Amino acid sequence: MWDDIKSVLTFAAFRPDADDPELAWLKRSEGRKSLLLNISRSQVSWRSFNRRGKLDQAGMHDGDLADVASQRGEEWRSLTEGGWCVVSLNNRFIISLENGLMRADNLNHLLRTNPRSVLGPKYDRGKRYALYHHTDTTASMLLACEDSMVKVTEDVLRGIGLKPGRICCGLFAMMEYSIRSIAESSRGQAPGSYLLIAACEGSIAALAQQDGQWRDLRCRSGLGAEGVETALQIVSPLVAKAPPGTPVFFVSDGQDASFRTTLMEQLERVGARDLTQEDLLWKVIGEH
Amino acid sequence: MSQFLCHDFKTPRTDTSRRLPGSMRLVPVMFYVVCLATGFFIFKDMRGMKEAEKQRLEAVKEKEEIAGELTKLDEEKLKIENELYRAQSVAKWMEGSRVMQPITVAIARTMPLETNITELSLERSPDLPSQISLLVRMINATVAEVPKIESAVNRLHYRTHSGQQAKQGDQVEYRSMLVWQDQ
Repeated sequence: MWDDIKSVLTFAAFRPDADDPELAWLKRSEGRKSLLLNISRSQVSWRSFNRRGKLDQAGMHDGDLADVASQRGEEWRSLTEGGWCVVSLNNRFIISLENGLMRADNLNHLLRTNPRSVLGPKYDRGKRYALYHHTDTTASMLLACEDSMVKVTEDVLRGIGLKPGRICCGLFAMMEYSIRSIAESSRGQAPGSYLLIAACEGSIAALAQQDGQWRDLRCRSGLGAEGVETALQIVSPLVAKAPPGTPVFFVSDGQDASFRTTLMEQLERVGARDLTQEDLLWKVIGEH
Repeated sequence: MSQFLCHDFKTPRTDTSRRLPGSMRLVPVMFYVVCLATGFFIFKDMRGMKEAEKQRLEAVKEKEEIAGELTKLDEEKLKIENELYRAQSVAKWMEGSRVMQPITVAIARTMPLETNITELSLERSPDLPSQISLLVRMINATVAEVPKIESAVNRLHYRTHSGQQAKQGDQVEYRSMLVWQDQ
């Protein structure tokens, strides 16, 4: 009761809830420190937002989340106010192309609460989902992440006093962001063709668009920094299938610069443009 | 790009309540406004109370001073009234104290030639100066002289009271109290 009165008198009751998935993270964490975690198969990296909403401290630790959390829990807690954090899962997910999926204003809410109503027979109860629709066609990118992975992550973080305000897939978020960026930069032009390759801490996804239609999407999560060869094997068929002159875009983020450099060296041969921005992953999952 | 919202597939919480609508911000705003207004009025009233207390003390002091002055004035008034009373008494006495010489002259003139006045006494009352005790002793006089004396005295605006006359041989004694008749 007293807490409720206090929250009303301090206007905290009117500020966006850190748990509200309908708002951008920066709005939810306005005026307080928050933590961004990127959890890969054998590595956890993090950045923090200071009270002014600027990226602040960074860190990386090799190992399983449970091991890293037990060692870094205190440090992570000190980087947050209220324990709220954003988690990017970079392992045990798959991105696929789907057609004719339901589109509604409350789609994201339905996906969280009743995914079967959106996905129909494609729904698997052991998965968590996210969707990104093509603006001009019925195609959609469907992200499916292991439900157990999400639950374990939530349990581990709860165990060290952190509260996940958002759990997402960094690679999928980077894909969404890049597709929107490309669409905005080519606004007013006829639907074109391109090949978008996104890499995030050893996970990779490649999307091919031809004449305004999404044709192919390949994805592999949890490759690790050493999986450059595998990544090239995933990308190469798409590059080979693309008509000559198709623009190739590349976005990447991660602690291991050699992965990006090696991959970009290969992609430069087909004229790829590097759209990578500094701290892209953190900005995409932490500001939007 | 402003509408881009990152996806989220965390386990939805069930223990959250709806956020309060923005219009409810008026509640804390009004609370602070009322607090400020209350503080302002308390401060204002405290100042007013202090000022009133100061004025009350000044008024009490002034009242005491005035009461002191009033007492002084009363004493002076009493003194003046005493003086006035005395003065009035003196004035009354002075007014009442008429010259007695005309009485003796008037009485002497009323006497016939054969009558001798052996004693004429006029004694003014010390308390009532308008009252004069008259004693006349005459030889070779009759009681008929007494009305003459009374009429002579009346002409001088005195009235006779308690007149007594006594005759022993050829001596007549007349006593009376003369009272001045104020116009």
